[in-house]
Amino acid sequence: MSGADTVIVGAGAAGLLLAARLAEAGEKVTVLEAGPERSTQDLISSQIWARKLKWSGPAVEEAGNHPVGHAFNAGSGTGGSAVHHYGVWLRLHESDFTVATDHGVGLDWPLSYEELRPHYDRIQTEVGISGDEEQEIWRPKGADYPMPSLPIFSQGKVIQEGFNAKGKRTAPLPLAINSRPYKGRASCLYDGWCDAGCPIGALANPLVTWLPRATAAGVKLVHDARVIRVERNANNPQQIDQVRYLKDGQVNTLKANRFIIAAFTVQTARILLSSADDDRPAPGNRFDQLGRYLTSHPAGTVFGLFEKETQPHLGVTGGQLLSHDDYDDKSAPGGFGSSQWLIANAIKPHDLLGYGTSRPDIIGPQLKPWLAKAAKHIGNMTLVAEDIARPDNRITLSKNADQDGIPLAHTYHDLSADLISRWDQRMAEGQAIFRAAGATDVWQGPRVPMHIMGGTVMGRDEKQSVTDSFGRVHDTDNLFVAGPSLFPSTGAVNPTFTLTALADRQADHLIG
Amino acid sequence: MGLSRRKVLAGGGTALGTFLIGGRWVDASPKTARELGFTPQVLTAAECEALEVTGDALVPGALKAGLAPYIDSQLALGSGSKLIAKYLGVDPLGQKGFYRAIADNLIINLAHPDTTAEQLTGSMASDSVSEWAGPPASYAFFVLRADALDVTYGTPEGFAALNIPYSAHIQPETSW
Ligand SMILES: Cc1cc2nc3c(=O)[nH]c(=O)nc-3n(C[C@H](O)[C@H](O)[C@H](O)COP(=O)(O)OP(=O)(O)OC[C@H]3O[C@@H](n4cnc5c(N)ncnc54)[C@H](O)[C@@H]3O)c2cc1C
Ligand code: SF4
Repeated sequence: MSGADTVIVGAGAAGLLLAARLAEAGEKVTVLEAGPERSTQDLISSQIWARKLKWSGPAVEEAGNHPVGHAFNAGSGTGGSAVHHYGVWLRLHESDFTVATDHGVGLDWPLSYEELRPHYDRIQTEVGISGDEEQEIWRPKGADYPMPSLPIFSQGKVIQEGFNAKGKRTAPLPLAINSRPYKGRASCLYDGWCDAGCPIGALANPLVTWLPRATAAGVKLVHDARVIRVERNANNPQQIDQVRYLKDGQVNTLKANRFIIAAFTVQTARILLSSADDDRPAPGNRFDQLGRYLTSHPAGTVFGLFEKETQPHLGVTGGQLLSHDDYDDKSAPGGFGSSQWLIANAIKPHDLLGYGTSRPDIIGPQLKPWLAKAAKHIGNMTLVAEDIARPDNRITLSKNADQDGIPLAHTYHDLSADLISRWDQRMAEGQAIFRAAGATDVWQGPRVPMHIMGGTVMGRDEKQSVTDSFGRVHDTDNLFVAGPSLFPSTGAVNPTFTLTALADRQADHLIG
Repeated sequence: MGLSRRKVLAGGGTALGTFLIGGRWVDASPKTARELGFTPQVLTAAECEALEVTGDALVPGALKAGLAPYIDSQLALGSGSKLIAKYLGVDPLGQKGFYRAIADNLIINLAHPDTTAEQLTGSMASDSVSEWAGPPASYAFFVLRADALDVTYGTPEGFAALNIPYSAHIQPETSW
């Protein structure tokens, strides 16, 4: 294959945005994607079919007290994991950028909220977000949402009463989902199939946002092409010359002037770690920083059965309401870290997040009547809590190899005691909120990992980071990383709005 | 407006599952495959029976909904398996061994003349099965129950049985 100006590895949320922006600026761009080609017609409304959208490449080894859950959290194929993400698009708070300075833990960002803010604003206009900036009192400064918020259905209203009773505030959840037709894309039908992917384009997945722009601008997409490593120029090691990738059982190479690795957190680190030479450490790893500061939000679901009908099948998977009342006081008693509630998620009877699965104690003849009741009366809400970057939480290469002889990724991720305490505390509060809302039976799911970040973090100091604030790998001229692996801190918000704003900032920088 | 958008999107192409029935490969749902006497590809007939009897004790209706052909046909897909076990820490390539190990434990325990599937599931939940080796019994309980929920209630028919509107954008085929 002939060379390109820019080769991008990974056709997900970050990769396709960068491909579209660079190609629109006149560059010749090739995207190598490990997974198959997908279109909106592959997004079949079934939680079982949805599992086809997950990562199906080499397994990821997991260890620690909070393993990262790669099999659930990662996707592959055109659009990446973002193809069936839930569209919960929130900005990090200003305080999330300075956890090390303010609290002496984790890492600061090498840029401020103010520097990222114009990119959040631009992206929300391009993609479309529905929300209510007046009710969302905790929201950092920014332009008004381009669409009004989505409607609140019975489940949201019932749970909201519990928040009111406890003196806590809620606001409509901001979502990258159309509450009205937007830029030629349809509005939402509130049928709760977001986890299987939204084929009508109401939810801003990359198949309907960046892919059409990338294709129109001439981006070349190569599917089923799994990148193994990048290779340095023999005479000028700062310069990356080519990528090596597997396609149809063959090893190929592709040269370019610039390379952007946007293969989602674990595979991005795996590619870079695999790029070490006998006489030279992997790019970005002169100070043994590559793979460190792996993070994942500790999350959990509170469930309850209510007397009132909740119509839990209605709405979107991400939720209807938000509460950030406990967000900004990271060092409040009871633990450490910010947290948020995503309230009244549309829910199904089965699958990992389904209510049937949440009650393994109910079996046999009791089950069907219980499911039938829950189908009308259940409520649920999701806690997302903060993780703090620690150097020992890291992605490394395993001693075990995949079927092509390439070492697997090994991940180790522990949560510190104070983060776990915060999770326990908030889940107990969540249960109390449900009781205050009138739930007759309340229970909670286990602590689960939500989102995977870090591993190739940005920073000013090469001794504590892998890239600069534009994602350029420190000891190279032309190798970049994009995606949530850049995040030095996580806040407690879902990452895709932030990683998209960050990729937009990178695109501006690269276009010049 | 909503309905017409649904109609436009209906019928997106999906590959049907195939089962070996009477020496021929037939496109069918797991339910039909069981009714017509499918030949398993990965599991033995005894393993299928043990899994479906136990799954039915957990989620009544799972046996008739085709739990055994569902699990067997997914295992035959190797890395393409859509079984929930993938989310629960069993890589698709390791699923065959995982299910065989569970089934073999079930066969041994169900062979006791005074052990019913209902009693066995009770002991599995509390990891108190006397003869059990390999993956913990409570873990097997959780995975098998989740599979049984998938095949019984994760379909348009299963939603209808609970009076939940399915409201698909793209209707799934009846088999996987
Ligand atoms: C069920 C679910 C719900 C979610 N909901 C939300 C939400 O509501 N809000 C939110 O903010 N976030 C959400 N997320 C997270 C969101 O999907 C990710 O943050 C986002 O997709 C990450 O973008 P990315 O571009 O870094 O990676 P991806 O979008 O995953 O794209 C990475 C791509 O790289 C490819 N790749 C990997 N390795 C290689 C290789 N070696 N060679 C070539 N290509 C490779 C992959 O196949 C993949 O297509 C959700 C995720 C899941 C799984
Ligand atoms: S609920 Fe809305 S966003 Fe989700 S899949 Fe349906 S139409 Fe799409």
